[in-house]
Amino acid sequence: VTQQRADLRGGGQSPATLRKTEATVGRRRRFREHVVLPLVGIAIVLAGWEATVLVYNLPVVVLPSPWSVARTVLQLLGTGPFWHDVGVSLYEFAIGYTVGVILGTAVGTLMGEWRHFRLATTPVIESLRFIVPFAWIPLTILWFGTSYTGKVALVAYAVFFVMAVSTARAIANVDPILSRVGTVLGMGAWRLAWTVHLRAAAPTIASAARAGAAIGWIAVVAAEYIGASAGLGLMITNAASSLATAVVIAGMIVIGLVGAGVSALIRWVSHAYLDYR
Amino acid sequence: MNWQETALDAIDDASRTPTFRSAGRTLSPRAQAWVFGCAGALVALGVWTLLSHVLATGGGVINRLPTPARVLRELEVYLAGDFPRDLLFSLRVFAIGWVVGAVCATLVGLVLGRVRLLGQIFIPVIEAIRPVSSIAWVPLAVVWFGFGLTGKVFLVGLAVFLVVIVYAVDGSRRIPPDLDRTASMLGMNGWQRFRTLVVPGTLAEVLIGSRVSLMAGWGTVIVAELVAADSGLGAHLISVEQSYDVPAVMATMLCFGLTGFLMNALFTLLERRLMPWRHVNPEDSR
Repeated sequence: VTQQRADLRGGGQSPATLRKTEATVGRRRRFREHVVLPLVGIAIVLAGWEATVLVYNLPVVVLPSPWSVARTVLQLLGTGPFWHDVGVSLYEFAIGYTVGVILGTAVGTLMGEWRHFRLATTPVIESLRFIVPFAWIPLTILWFGTSYTGKVALVAYAVFFVMAVSTARAIANVDPILSRVGTVLGMGAWRLAWTVHLRAAAPTIASAARAGAAIGWIAVVAAEYIGASAGLGLMITNAASSLATAVVIAGMIVIGLVGAGVSALIRWVSHAYLDYR
Repeated sequence: MNWQETALDAIDDASRTPTFRSAGRTLSPRAQAWVFGCAGALVALGVWTLLSHVLATGGGVINRLPTPARVLRELEVYLAGDFPRDLLFSLRVFAIGWVVGAVCATLVGLVLGRVRLLGQIFIPVIEAIRPVSSIAWVPLAVVWFGFGLTGKVFLVGLAVFLVVIVYAVDGSRRIPPDLDRTASMLGMNGWQRFRTLVVPGTLAEVLIGSRVSLMAGWGTVIVAELVAADSGLGAHLISVEQSYDVPAVMATMLCFGLTGFLMNALFTLLERRLMPWRHVNPEDSR
């Protein structure tokens, strides 16, 4: 629509000048829309937060000011235990996520390729899928204690179902013409699955891997709330029970940042290797 | 958080691989699904039973694995006992939070979606909050509201809000252009256009968002009740966990799964009734 409007406005100009003004106007508008206005929004929210604290004279326990939260984040970044917690959480996540993605993609591929296998596994997977990963937390604590293994298993479980179901669907939705071309070229079932179906389904699988990462990361944090010896989740529940609200909010920010970072990393990897659509 | 989004039963075989239908096939696809499904479930139950017997004597990491029959018995006991009360507690938290979250998201989404400047200012702020899952807010909610209803309602409302707001903004913006042109041809003024085009379009999207947010909200209820364990299914789960009662823990987990499944089924049915046009596609009409 904006394209049309620009064309209508610049009816009498020569194409070259039109394109030039469009480009500069576009750049300025983009700067305004993507940099200035979001900053204004963040400033308004921060000012509202600060004003609430000042006007109602809230104690630090209830709501610390944005400045003290920012200070707390900076302080935390300089301490060893904080990095240990981040490391533990990331370690649990990374191993569980890798296991879950590999197993889930493998089972999902089998389900997509082999109809009888899918028919046989569907009831089991569908019924387990409705037990959300968080409901498994107490059981993993009973089985594995507060060790890393329990969280690794939990993340793997959470990621597995996302990957298996999405992969099965992605493979089933591969353009049948591709399969026919493969068959005509004399490919067997395994070759077809490996060289045609998995590749055609790869972009969908990659976006499932991103969704799985978000779920897996938050599953780690939730598991650490309830039973852990170290980790970000334990850090913020401990801070909450000692009413260190600034540390709680700082921890939430770090959890969000790490989650966004993991998601960005997976997106970057998948764009670098899979973007051939 | 939308791991319930894709369903396996939507996979359609007929269009996929070019197979030659053999004349001797005796079972219909539906019957095959039943036969193989039951076989798969039986194998899974068999492996579980076998594992529980092996682990009972051998030990290992998983040193307590009850048999399915034992879990079923525990489930019966719980269903006949405290289950209705716990479920009502959890469902009340869930329902209040869900309605509050969806209504707030609809109102905010309409404003941010239609008023361009406000949208450009505040949507990035919401986008910045969204990656912090509502589950990360649990400790803060405990600090702010303590245990009890309010904190959990806040958490569920937040979880639902963060999902539905995306659908609300999208729905309020994506008015089909031909409807828009028809509206201007009919000489509708701004308010009429808002009432007859924007609001229904937004509500339809909000309904979809509400179903997608069901599982996010339900997961948040579970975590909130596990952490601030005073009442509800999650509190029961923690209490049986603390008495090392593995069969009861598994039975409670089954209750969670069952409730989630029923809610999802109910809402899918409702969506189908309220928005029949979304489900008119060749796969369904076969």
